[in-house]
Amino acid sequence: MLRAGRGAVAALRRAAGSRGAGGQGGGQGPGLEPSLLRFLVCPLSKRPLRYDEAANELVNEELGIAYPVIDGIPNMIPEAARRTQKQAEAVKETSGPAGPQQ
Amino acid sequence: MAAAGLGPARPLLARRPGALRALLGLARGLAAGPQTHFGFQNVSEEERREKIYQVFENVAEKYDVMNDSMTLGIHRVWKDILVHKMNPSPGTLLVDVAGGTGDIAFRFINYVRSVRERQLQQKLKRHQNLSWQEISKSYEKEKVKPLGDSQVVVCDINKEMLKVGKQRAQHLGYSEGLSWVLGNAEELPFDDDKFDVYTIAFGIRNVTRIDLALQEAYRVLKPGGRFLCLEFSHVSNPLLSRLYDLYSFQVIPVLGEIIAGDWKSYQYLVESIRRFPPQEELKEMIEDAGFFKVDYQNLSSGIVAIHSGFKL
Repeated sequence: MLRAGRGAVAALRRAAGSRGAGGQGGGQGPGLEPSLLRFLVCPLSKRPLRYDEAANELVNEELGIAYPVIDGIPNMIPEAARRTQKQAEAVKETSGPAGPQQ
Repeated sequence: MAAAGLGPARPLLARRPGALRALLGLARGLAAGPQTHFGFQNVSEEERREKIYQVFENVAEKYDVMNDSMTLGIHRVWKDILVHKMNPSPGTLLVDVAGGTGDIAFRFINYVRSVRERQLQQKLKRHQNLSWQEISKSYEKEKVKPLGDSQVVVCDINKEMLKVGKQRAQHLGYSEGLSWVLGNAEELPFDDDKFDVYTIAFGIRNVTRIDLALQEAYRVLKPGGRFLCLEFSHVSNPLLSRLYDLYSFQVIPVLGEIIAGDWKSYQYLVESIRRFPPQEELKEMIEDAGFFKVDYQNLSSGIVAIHSGFKL
């Protein structure tokens, strides 16, 4: 519920045309500290991540998962990672009625 | 977490991994998993992780107050000693794991800040015949880089502890060179060979797979990097040991109930200390992870020990 409140506040701010320092993206609250990007990798594959500022997530393209950044703190626990669209599509393809596409 | 409500049903469900996975969505291949301990109870690894998470979720707000009451403020001295032993120079990259409320991180920042100030003062003293312009320029430099590129990343598995840590940081005015990450010590979200120092203060006891945490510590350290662990250990002196036991089992849980309204969490704390490997055993585990020059320093007659190792 609190999250909804924050989202509403962010939306209002955007409407008013004022941008908070650090760029309040569409995600939840403040974004990721840029200095962290040089250390962070995916805890599962240890491979680099892409920071999606708009969604406020750290995306692992290969595995198709995204770690959320909440209140400026990246949540790098694998259980918390969200499956991205691409992975959902890949799963559909391989398990579809037409059989494997590759 | 829905897991809490399943209680007695879990061992049954555990025998059907598919069902458990589907229900909880927590699986990482360790549905019931090998047996381990939670204090003096025997539980599965998964249960232990959850129970420990809940302990710290419950105590987070009162964590610092409890530390002061239980140790009569001495934990501050132990942590001071840890950072002094580390002796970080400006430019050091530190990862503080299980660093929750920020005690080590803040001390690290204070330390490098004062080292840096002293460095700049020394430099000024040596150049006595500088013009006022040049002197003010070097003061500017200090303002721009008060920590001299030192950085500390605080990593903890518990959201509540990190929240408290971040609030304390704001309150005390720490912002430069400090960042917070929610992560698991057994599976760190950091790249190889990144940090100069890895610390874990009063946290390794709560890790379920200590061997994995030590391996991860080795991995993320740069060659030449140092591993430092501050943890409750074993008292060999029999008289002191008796007094310590009495205090631990009779006083601490009561304090926990009075101050934090949580007897059970502090009961767990005391038991977990007893279950933790003693100095020599921990030293071997650290060596097994690949560290060299591993040794330990007893503080307060072994109530606490600092283990140190190097990645070569």
